[in-house]
Amino acid sequence: MSATRAWLALLALSAVSTAIAWQGGAGMAVTLAILVLAWAKAQVILRSYLGLAQAPEWSRGFAMVLALFMLGAMGLAVAAG
Amino acid sequence: MTTLAPRPRGIEALPGDLMMWVLIVSELAVFGAGLIAFLAVRLTDPLGFAQAQAHLDAAAAGINTMVLVTSGWLAALAVRAAEARRVARLRGLLAGAALLGVVFLWIKWQEYAGKAAAGIDFETHAFFTFYYLLTGFHAVHVVAGIVILALVGWNAAPRTVETGAAFWHMVDLVWVLLFPILYLLR
Repeated sequence: MSATRAWLALLALSAVSTAIAWQGGAGMAVTLAILVLAWAKAQVILRSYLGLAQAPEWSRGFAMVLALFMLGAMGLAVAAG
Repeated sequence: MTTLAPRPRGIEALPGDLMMWVLIVSELAVFGAGLIAFLAVRLTDPLGFAQAQAHLDAAAAGINTMVLVTSGWLAALAVRAAEARRVARLRGLLAGAALLGVVFLWIKWQEYAGKAAAGIDFETHAFFTFYYLLTGFHAVHVVAGIVILALVGWNAAPRTVETGAAFWHMVDLVWVLLFPILYLLR
């Protein structure tokens, strides 16, 4: 993914997550949607901006640690709801 | 017959400077632990955290997200310009990235000033303790990043620009995780 495509993807993902939050909704679906979008943004930055797409082994390692963090965050966020 | 160079493996496959990656991983671990601690403490008082969060300006923080990811884009383009030895272009792009960093800090400062005017401080609620710690620590990294972008723009060597941009992308990465957890989750 080029830097410009990555930027456009980040803008779109940020706009969607902010729009979801502004809807005023709450609950598990909204919580998970917001965190999944944050997860996707983090992956775009790691793979495109930080260039990990060119180092697949490192990309998989970072993706695994990020997945553990996001799943932990999702569990705690849903538990608070 | 041409021989293809072997694909780099292990540490050599990592793009950019190894020490910058050590720093990036360290910073991500610190912010990650802070965010998990925030979510864990939130379990003890979900209503209080929701009431405290209502005082935040999610719109301003949303604009700041756009500002920071755009700044990261300019830094990424600067790396390409450095690789192409286009020094004037890379300096312009890094100046743009740094300027957007200043815009981010100005919006953040307005947010802090609004909280101070409303009598909200570090000790108002556990939510705000985390809020000031996490966003304040992040803002310090933005300041450091602006200085680094200025320095690597001055030097203009491709490897140095790539290393400085990597630090800036780490600042970006932390914000895209911090913003939804602090400002958007209800």
